[in-house]
Amino acid sequence: MTGTLIAIGAGLATLCCLGAGIGIGIATGHAAEAIARQPEAAGKINSTLILGCALAEATAIYGFVIALLILFVL
Amino acid sequence: MNLADSLREELATKTVFSVFGIPVDESTVVTWVVMAVIVLLCFVLTRNLKVEHIGKRQAAVELAVTKLDDLFRGLLGEKGKDYIPYLITVLLYLAFANISNVFGFKPPTKSMNVTVSLALMSILLVQAAGIRAKGVVGWLRSFTKPMAIVTPFNILDLFTRPLSLCMRLFGNILGSFVIMKILEFVVPVVIPAAFSLYFDFFDGLLQAYVFVFLTSMYIKEAIGAEE
Repeated sequence: MTGTLIAIGAGLATLCCLGAGIGIGIATGHAAEAIARQPEAAGKINSTLILGCALAEATAIYGFVIALLILFVL
Repeated sequence: MNLADSLREELATKTVFSVFGIPVDESTVVTWVVMAVIVLLCFVLTRNLKVEHIGKRQAAVELAVTKLDDLFRGLLGEKGKDYIPYLITVLLYLAFANISNVFGFKPPTKSMNVTVSLALMSILLVQAAGIRAKGVVGWLRSFTKPMAIVTPFNILDLFTRPLSLCMRLFGNILGSFVIMKILEFVVPVVIPAAFSLYFDFFDGLLQAYVFVFLTSMYIKEAIGAEE
């Protein structure tokens, strides 16, 4: 019983990925739009995009780390 | 052996040997290998450098070094050019460490000890850069910028920044490592090779870049124009 609950908890923790996926998707979509509008600014847009993606992705990583902690520590 | 057991075994950081009772981890040994590779590369690539009539090898090395230097110069600005060598060193180490999975080593960045120490080094460098650029008083005053009310958050940043730096690197490398192990367990041939291109090379190199990119952003903010 406890094992099942732990597995469910770990699965729930991975729901973090949802937010990160949506966030990175929106960011990339707008970056593509911005580059289409102003191709000469592609370099600056790219570095801003990478920064934003790295920060947005962190939430998914936290979910993953928490899931691992739940699985292997509990 | 089932999947969970093999995963647990792969995830454990093994102690290779002990020196006077101090355990030496696998990640340390792989770091030595990475160091040896980088030192050897530097040694081999910088033999017989000439001012005129340069060879292909020297041209390639000069191109790579200039590109990397320009990249960080663009990120940091002219004021931060003293910190470029450190950032390139970390970038090279992380790049080699993250793709070491391909050569059959366990990536050292999979161990949290390594990423914690890298993140601590980064944040110490950022604060030192701030003190060096603004002086102790200016550095302390920078915590109250842009408004006095954000001071608690600026102090909190001291802890959340290294935490997120280290967790991001650790989680990404561990995540791709786990996915690769699961893939190799399910389909032992061909398919892992294709996915390894993404998970080992693309993700590994991207994370190495993101780590130094964020560090250089923090440094740039720390040494930023005073008023």
